[in-house]
Amino acid sequence: GLTIVKPLVYGNVARYFGKKREEDGHTHEWTVYVKPYNNEDMSTYVKKIHFKLHESYANQNRVLTKPPYEVTETGWGEFEIVIKIFFHDPNERPVTIYHILKLFQSPPGTTPAAVPNDFKKPLVSEFYEELIFQDPSAMMRQLLTNTRQLTLGEYKHDTDFEEKKEKTLKNLLIAKEKIANEILDLREKIKLAKDTITKFKDEINKSQADVPVDVSGLS
Amino acid sequence: MADVRDILELERSPTPEVSKEVILGLRKEAPKKKKEKEGMRRPEGMHRELYALLYSDSNKDLPPLLPSDSGQGYKSVKAKLGMKRVRPWKWMPFTNLARKDNAKVELLSYSDAEYSEHLLCDGWTRIETDTLFELCHRFDLRWPVIHDRWPSHLTTRKMEDLKERYYSVTNILKKVNNLTGPEGKIVNYDADHERRRKQQLLKLWDRTPKQIEEEQQLLCELRKIEARKKEREKKTQDLQKLISADADARKIPKTTKKKIQQTKIAKLDAQPPSLESCTGIKFPDVKSSGVSLRSQRMKLPASVGQKKVKAIEQLLTELNLETNPMAVEEVCQHFNDLRSDLVLMYDLRTILINYVFDLQTLKHQFFAIIIFQVLEIPESLTINPGEESPSRPRAISEMIDAVATPTTPNRKRKAALEQSNVLKKIKART
Repeated sequence: GLTIVKPLVYGNVARYFGKKREEDGHTHEWTVYVKPYNNEDMSTYVKKIHFKLHESYANQNRVLTKPPYEVTETGWGEFEIVIKIFFHDPNERPVTIYHILKLFQSPPGTTPAAVPNDFKKPLVSEFYEELIFQDPSAMMRQLLTNTRQLTLGEYKHDTDFEEKKEKTLKNLLIAKEKIANEILDLREKIKLAKDTITKFKDEINKSQADVPVDVSGLS
Repeated sequence: MADVRDILELERSPTPEVSKEVILGLRKEAPKKKKEKEGMRRPEGMHRELYALLYSDSNKDLPPLLPSDSGQGYKSVKAKLGMKRVRPWKWMPFTNLARKDNAKVELLSYSDAEYSEHLLCDGWTRIETDTLFELCHRFDLRWPVIHDRWPSHLTTRKMEDLKERYYSVTNILKKVNNLTGPEGKIVNYDADHERRRKQQLLKLWDRTPKQIEEEQQLLCELRKIEARKKEREKKTQDLQKLISADADARKIPKTTKKKIQQTKIAKLDAQPPSLESCTGIKFPDVKSSGVSLRSQRMKLPASVGQKKVKAIEQLLTELNLETNPMAVEEVCQHFNDLRSDLVLMYDLRTILINYVFDLQTLKHQFFAIIIFQVLEIPESLTINPGEESPSRPRAISEMIDAVATPTTPNRKRKAALEQSNVLKKIKART
């Protein structure tokens, strides 16, 4: 079968006001978004994206039908946002991504970092994800393969995902080798243990044959 | 005059005509005059209050109870002794009132010649042997009685000694006379065994309640230990079965891997086909069609237990890896493989710990049997998270928070075997 993979990036950016706003106690402005990893227009195959916010927000369910797929709001707290991506092909089920809105560098309740927050530079919490289309319908295949470029200019993300990927892979391979060696070592030890057990059992049997067991002096 | 009175139904004297004076032939006074008072008289010897319960002055006619034969009843509480002279005890013969069909034992007897030829024995004179046989005949081989009746002027014998002598004599007689059939059956009486057996019974009987309780507790604990041992063995077996069952399943999806990984895995599977030669986690197969997220491929299946999940997390942190890495296909694949290997390592380590534990148990068992000697567990198998040889880098597998095991002394196996050989030689000589 055919597999088409569409990588994307999702997450949020958040910016601290600098102070707590008087009227509603909001401290941050944030934007939650879904972007394609590559410079393409997702709306070719994506019908709409739902962002379900915290119930304390009016119009909790925000629906976006064309890029940029993002929601900007203000608030004071972190919560889970449910992102649901719907496709033009009605036979394809929507996919759900859960993203926890990140506003603070250190967890709330802990003492803030010694270096004061840089108001200019916003906080970014974004993740790489891949949409895997397994055996898509003809229509879908068409939509997936004929995508237009999104922007003409430079297109990049806040996080260097390439670097992250390389680093992760490297660490993974190192770890795999280490574990493989450990496993070999363990197998050897198990064999040694089994042999030693057999040996010990023999010794015990032999010595039990030698020593007559005397039960007459029970007390 | 008495019968006249009877006919006329006149008042009669309450005292009976026959009394002890009459029996003894002593003279008696004239019977008492009849009383004026009519109505029931309180019998002599009956208490006034008791009589008042039964009869009252106002209600003279009927006693509430059926009067028993109170003629002699309440007369006196003293025993009536015969006044004859004291007669001494006399030893009198009597007939045995037992049934005639008691079992009777046929004893063998010996002549003087037979005795002097075959039946001579240290510690048993002719007289003693004769006495023994006479007692046996008299009491039908009822040993407790025989033992009790053993004369005190002869050397004191225990019951086992008597039995031993008797059976040895009869056995010899049977052999000598070549008796066959049920008569000639040789009785194997093991006096030693009997003595020990009775001694043991006595000891058993004489146990204090405290000792009995202690014994019960020990038995209980023994049962618990056995049960736990069985459980552990079962678990190990199940583990090994699981591992061997996945053996083939793991070999299949190898072709999609890169060459480097292939050689590594080939090395692993080229191991001798032991029971533990297999895999950790089986990740659920990809959906045949439809949209899915890469990150879903990296989710651990529910079959992985809580303990293992925690262990995996711990190990990943040790290895400087994120618990949820970037969802790229390659990363996903390697990450799943790694976690599978981690679980495999965890299982192998568990098996190893169980084996080492068994070794320690065996070692202590052996130690209990032969005090001098100790079975030595090979050095590399000691699991010792505290102290470590600085040259050996800390193995990742030891990060697993496994059950702590006691430390074991490290010595070489060869020495132990040599020791056992030496010990056997010593034993053979003594």
